[in-house]
Amino acid sequence: MSSQKKLVVAHAPYWHDGSKISTKNYSIIIAALPAALMGISQYGAPALGVIAFAMACAMIWEIVWSLILGKGATIGDGSAAVTGLLFGMLLPATAPWWVVALGTFIAIIVGKQIFGGIGFNPLNPPVLALAMLVISFKGIFDFNESLCNYDLGFVMTFPLADLKAFGPEAIAKFNLGDLLMGRQAGGIGSTFGLGLIVGGLYLLLRGYMRWEISLSFLAGVFITALLFNLSDPEKYAGPLFHLLTGYTLIAAFFLLPEDSSSPANFIPMLVFGAMAGLMTVLIRNIGAYVDGVVFAILLMNLANPLLDKIRPKAIGKVVENA
Amino acid sequence: MTSKNGQGLAFALAACLLVVGVVCYAAFPQKAPEEPVRLMFKSTAGKILFDHMTHTAAEGYGIGCDDCHHEEQEGSMSCSGEDCHGPDTEPKRGDALHSNCKGCHEDSGAGPVECGACHVM
Repeated sequence: MSSQKKLVVAHAPYWHDGSKISTKNYSIIIAALPAALMGISQYGAPALGVIAFAMACAMIWEIVWSLILGKGATIGDGSAAVTGLLFGMLLPATAPWWVVALGTFIAIIVGKQIFGGIGFNPLNPPVLALAMLVISFKGIFDFNESLCNYDLGFVMTFPLADLKAFGPEAIAKFNLGDLLMGRQAGGIGSTFGLGLIVGGLYLLLRGYMRWEISLSFLAGVFITALLFNLSDPEKYAGPLFHLLTGYTLIAAFFLLPEDSSSPANFIPMLVFGAMAGLMTVLIRNIGAYVDGVVFAILLMNLANPLLDKIRPKAIGKVVENA
Repeated sequence: MTSKNGQGLAFALAACLLVVGVVCYAAFPQKAPEEPVRLMFKSTAGKILFDHMTHTAAEGYGIGCDDCHHEEQEGSMSCSGEDCHGPDTEPKRGDALHSNCKGCHEDSGAGPVECGACHVM
């Protein structure tokens, strides 16, 4: 027997450190604000309407659900507000009100509450809602079609759609700096790469998010896209383009690391992120959809319970993760 | 459990956001500009994104309205009206647009003429 301590158990009394779920959720909202505000500044009142209405609807659906179940209101934990905000950030500025109402209903009721509420959802609620709407109403989520009345002074075609339809030749007009600074068509809060990265770093530093999932996802996207690009540069775009377009960055920092739909252990987190990155680029490069992030996340959410069985920690063993 | 203050704050936030959302939707409805920026034509062979502004602007190709909208149209800019390029009239909308777009692209030696360069599934 080694003398190394295997079990560390402290005795009572315990002291609450003051952390609350609501503090974490309001921190996520603050972290997401730079990207959301950039979208609002670009598209104006319609974008503000979509985001505000999405947050309000998400909270209202949760209140309605609490009333139906006859339990106390739960919106104080801020979870519904976060779901609404993230869902709104994925939508185009022209999304009609009924899409917002329907999407938040799917996210809150179907995605979260029927499984038992916060902490029990097997799939990421805003991503589930978006996936169901994308399949049902293609035109609304075709950014080339939905944003065709906007001229914001930069290339207004959706970069990933250009790549899918016309190949890497057609994306030469996009400048990586512009893509990073949000000068591209897309979801209201998903185009401002720098804002999303800053928000993500803030959450990492505050300890509300784990670096493992974000970094492995970005690495998964980068390496897979690089391999495709090296195999045939005339057919497949470079890795940086994939990192800075579509839903990649909002997924890395706000969608994938969602608590209950992502693994808790170290190795599973790395596998989860890397596989999601791999699936994203596979769908983009050889799949039917223009952006594969949404379906890649849902697929990995489904694999999450199995992934967390990879080298689980022994009960009582103190490890840094989990 | 969340505190009563937390609940109150969340209810207030929901109410404010609802008002902002409804006002933005009601006061700023989505409407197409008088002169289109881009148009998405839909056809069975795939959608076509047409950059109207680049084709008409003086610093673009500077094409006059009459070059494409060759008949006097009242109120509507639709090409597939009953008397124009409808399903039972010749040339049909698709044929008219093909000859108009491709014809000009070929004559001026600029712009795409292959199917897949315009039609996107």
